Amino acid sequence: MQKSIIVIDDDEAVLLSVNKILSKAGFHVETFEDGVSGLEGVTELKPDLVVVDLRMPGLSGMEVINRVSEMDPYIIIVVITGYATIDTAVEAIKLGAYDFLPKPFSPDELRVIVNRGLEHRQLLQESHRLEIERELLKRQFVTLVSHQLKTPLVAIHQYLDTLKQLGDTPDTASKRQDWLERCLQRTDEVLAIIKDWLTLSKVESGSLTGEILRVDLKPIILNTMEANADMAAEQGITLEAELPADEYPVKGDRNCLAVLFDNLMVNAIKYNKPEGRVSVSVKAQDHQIVVAVADTGIGIPEKYRQALFDEFFRVKGQSSGQTTGTGLGLAICKRITTEMGGTIEVESELDVGSTFRVSLPAYHEKADQEEENRSTK
Amino acid sequence: MTSKSKILLIDDDRDFLASVRSVLESHGYTVVEAETGKDGLQKLIEHKPDVIILDIMMESLTEGYSVNYAIKHLDDYKEYKRTPIIMVSSIESSPDERFPISDGYVDVISPNYYMNKPLDIPAFLDVLEKVIQE
Ligand SMILES: Nc1ncnc2c1ncn2[C@@H]1O[C@H](COP(=O)(O)OP(=O)(O)O)[C@@H](O)[C@H]1O
Ligand SMILES: [Mg+2]
Repeated sequence: MQKSIIVIDDDEAVLLSVNKILSKAGFHVETFEDGVSGLEGVTELKPDLVVVDLRMPGLSGMEVINRVSEMDPYIIIVVITGYATIDTAVEAIKLGAYDFLPKPFSPDELRVIVNRGLEHRQLLQESHRLEIERELLKRQFVTLVSHQLKTPLVAIHQYLDTLKQLGDTPDTASKRQDWLERCLQRTDEVLAIIKDWLTLSKVESGSLTGEILRVDLKPIILNTMEANADMAAEQGITLEAELPADEYPVKGDRNCLAVLFDNLMVNAIKYNKPEGRVSVSVKAQDHQIVVAVADTGIGIPEKYRQALFDEFFRVKGQSSGQTTGTGLGLAICKRITTEMGGTIEVESELDVGSTFRVSLPAYHEKADQEEENRSTK
Repeated sequence: MTSKSKILLIDDDRDFLASVRSVLESHGYTVVEAETGKDGLQKLIEHKPDVIILDIMMESLTEGYSVNYAIKHLDDYKEYKRTPIIMVSSIESSPDERFPISDGYVDVISPNYYMNKPLDIPAFLDVLEKVIQE
């Protein structure tokens, strides 16, 4: 669809040239000579982007920015002005402008900034849509859970009923074996969902968490690597760890931490590429111990980085479409880190790889030990 | 005779697609599959089916409703606006439920039929026959 742009500037020469440049670039452009009529135009046209001059007689550029972003925060505003100072730029951006273009500017500079702004708008709109979808999912959580459990059962039921209803035909004979195989796989899916769901409930109810004690991460990480070595080897993935010589103890629960790192490691292997790598590193930072699980895999689109930790969320389409999973792993990780008083973050570049970073409270040998002694007395 | 009717199956579960396809083909229908709403809309234009079987929860919670809405309201699909739609879902949902769609609320108009998953095969075939005859 053709994008529309409104240009507001009291300088007619600027209006003419901006109009020419942007129309030529394929946009629908409308121009206005002052803030008041410009705002009316914005109300009427609902443009994708507004180009506005800061210094105008009458309604000021700042006021226009203010009103437009109040009207619709997803309209991108690009500011042009001959009085480009850092202060005004900062103020305009604070009010909701997207970027700043000092006069005089070249056609190329204008096109670049407009295209970048429109890309930004698309990302904003898409994130907004996902946000609404997430809200809806949260409100209808019971529906979501039952849907997730029913889906594999429906598939199994439909296969078995079809075999029963159609009886022996050449068609069913050729498919039976394949369908039974699929039924078994879908049964495993139900079992996996129930298993993860139980883990999640246990973390929530506190029954997976024992006492929060001093835990050394090194053996947990090494165990996790060993447990997943076969799966990694099967897919030609190299596992490596950069563990400090010193002990970096944290305050936490051993079982929970094992579940946490296992989930991150399995994902890093599962969503990797052939010949990929997974590296785990541990660092002390302030009063936190930071464990990073980095992979060279398919990466995660930016718009999904919030939803990733939601129950049942899985990135669909793309390369991860082939893998199986419950969509509960990262929800479990998030609950566990929260339970241990830590945080979990993700950094990712599409097609390059992802890094999941878990920060946990460090165990201070003296202070924490004293506290433990006191509480056991 | 219904033997030449073409059915468009839109569902994101490939196992569900596979078994329902077999049932339909064994009863003489031609089947076209789509795994997303978007793909379904494209296949609608490409294959001009006689009936659409449409899942509700696909990539999003309300994807089926959006597809139903698009077919019945958007100019792009006005040629197919009368194609009967049988909506299928494992969650019981009332046709009157209103779902918010990006900006503002969209009045979801009912599809021609609702059926619960798993499909009761004889009942499903009956409904299909009826819808085609109408
Ligand atoms: N290391 C990773 N690289 C790329 N995508 C990932 C990674 N970890 C998780 N994801 C994405 O996040 C989704 C949710 O992960 P998770 O909760 O562990 O569920 P599951 O692995 O069972 O699908 C995955 O389906 C995948 O799309
Ligand atoms: Mg996982």
